[in-house]
Amino acid sequence: MDLKTLFLPLDVSQKNDEFIAMESKSFAKDVWQRFCRNRRALFGFVLLSCIVLLAVFGAMASPYTYDGQDTAIRNLPPHAQHWFGTDKFGRDIFTRVLYGVRMSLLIGFVSTAVNFLVGLVYGGVAGYCGGYADMLMMRVCDILYAIPAMLYIILIMLIFGSHVGSILIGICLSGWVGVARIVRAQVLSLKEREYALAAYVLGSSRRRIFFKHLLANSMGALLVTVTLMIPQAIFMEAFLSFIGIGISAPMASLGTLAQDAKTYFQVYPTQILFPIGMICLIIFSLSFISKGLEEAFDPRNRR
Amino acid sequence: MAAPILEVAHLCKYFDAGRAVSGETKKLKAVEDVSFAISPGETMGLVGESGCGKSTLGRTIVRIHDPTAGRILYKGEDITRRKNKHLLPVRRSMQMIFQDPYASLDPRCTVGDILAEPMAIHRLYTKRERASRVQALLETVGLKPDHIRRYPHEFSGGQRQRISIARTLALDPEFIVCDEPISALDVSIQAQIINLLERIQDERGLSYLFIAHDLGMVRHISHKIGVMYLGHMMEYGQTADVYDNPYHPYTKALLSAVPVPDPKTARAKQRIVLKGEVFTPIDPPACCLFANRCPHVMARCRRTEPPVCHVAGRRVACHLYTPDFLALRRNGENPIFTDPPDWRADIPV
Repeated sequence: MDLKTLFLPLDVSQKNDEFIAMESKSFAKDVWQRFCRNRRALFGFVLLSCIVLLAVFGAMASPYTYDGQDTAIRNLPPHAQHWFGTDKFGRDIFTRVLYGVRMSLLIGFVSTAVNFLVGLVYGGVAGYCGGYADMLMMRVCDILYAIPAMLYIILIMLIFGSHVGSILIGICLSGWVGVARIVRAQVLSLKEREYALAAYVLGSSRRRIFFKHLLANSMGALLVTVTLMIPQAIFMEAFLSFIGIGISAPMASLGTLAQDAKTYFQVYPTQILFPIGMICLIIFSLSFISKGLEEAFDPRNRR
Repeated sequence: MAAPILEVAHLCKYFDAGRAVSGETKKLKAVEDVSFAISPGETMGLVGESGCGKSTLGRTIVRIHDPTAGRILYKGEDITRRKNKHLLPVRRSMQMIFQDPYASLDPRCTVGDILAEPMAIHRLYTKRERASRVQALLETVGLKPDHIRRYPHEFSGGQRQRISIARTLALDPEFIVCDEPISALDVSIQAQIINLLERIQDERGLSYLFIAHDLGMVRHISHKIGVMYLGHMMEYGQTADVYDNPYHPYTKALLSAVPVPDPKTARAKQRIVLKGEVFTPIDPPACCLFANRCPHVMARCRRTEPPVCHVAGRRVACHLYTPDFLALRRNGENPIFTDPPDWRADIPV
């Protein structure tokens, strides 16, 4: 056979050197896709979305109010009109649970957002400045962290009265320390990376390096911690309300609902079941999301 | 010869290395009394084993580290103590390529962002001009225009190093510190990157400070060479001179370790194998730091630091090349082995 017809030279334009076959996607998109592939995480996300939607719109659509009393229908078991039954004052437990979820989510998200922002700035400054400033700032953190958070909250409750604001202040007073520590550690390690040095040699200001390169790259680790802080705050509020120093009546929170129902626990077990079940669902879904995010951010899972 | 673009005089960089029991601060002497000059269009190679302070020297020159002592003159301007704010015009024309192409590109930015960033920092050009310049840069380093929207992790090591070269070129620099730009790459890719660097140098008249431990590559690319050992510049001269006839015992040992492609010559070649450990750079003794490994060590090497000797257009930091010693040798004496044979006994630890 003639070799000249067997092998034909290709045109130079058809040369396929180091061709990138993979679809180009941004980091965020990549993480999102991996998050969605994780069934448990997706389940947690859908569940939390449902709970949030229900808490926001469900309470609006409900024909009952959280404090509307009706002594004729006290301590009813769950049925068609009152899905979760009624309590000792004849209030609709379903509506009260929805309000409780609202309160819990509000406390969880607001306190986490505040902690996140304060911790971000504080830890970022400490990590970036380094040296004595860092030492001083971290010792302040240690002191705040050494005093039990419960103590602050109870003291603040005593001074400002028991309402959402004081719980939020109490949780936020030392809650940011954890975030600050993580941000500091991230920034400390990232600022010695060569891309940070390269930006510095190019003439970047410190602020630009910090916001454009360091923060963007430490976001992954941060988001994971932050999603775990939400259930902590929710649990803290529920606990405070349960021992009787949190949200006061007639406002509803999941903790107060459980506390109200605990006296009749043996007679009307459904009254305590619903608020506690709701706490569990919220905390489960957030844990699933956090775990899913952690796996999605881990570069070893990149496919 | 034209005025040097970069002049480094008696540069020192010490790091704090904790406190001794006595309460004195220990000093890690990473760079100690290093001087050299680079002319426009010239490449200076810097070699030495790991941990000898090559990278620290490079980073001190671009002022990532603040120098402890000495002077750095860039185009005749003293930038040794200049604050970061006032360094901006210098930063525009003095750039650096880093060793690890996997670490020197921000994983969250696209190639387009990475290449446009230097121009954004210096507020140069309009948006449209930046975009067209980015395209031109990609072409210069041999990447395709459609790579602009890709992320660094999608590229191979060689391609990434091309991206970081393109980034340094974005500001049209005149001097680039290349901190081991090829040591993280495959041998076949190394040649491509070196050719690219040489082509850019020819086109733009750039000067390089080329840090490497591949002696063959340094010989190929550089006009001048400096040999470092424990922060000291042991030998400094024209590349051809140093390679053909190394003066310093350390340079001799280093060059004897270069692999030779031809097995016949390789077998005939005599290798100088150094024994002993490198001194610690933390509070090093005041003597020749190579004394404990040097095959030609003399009593005075362990007592005093060698002066920098100017021999035949070269600078050598070695007692063998001091004027009085050279005079002795010229008289036919061979004073090298006049030391007692048990000289190793009194080496400072």
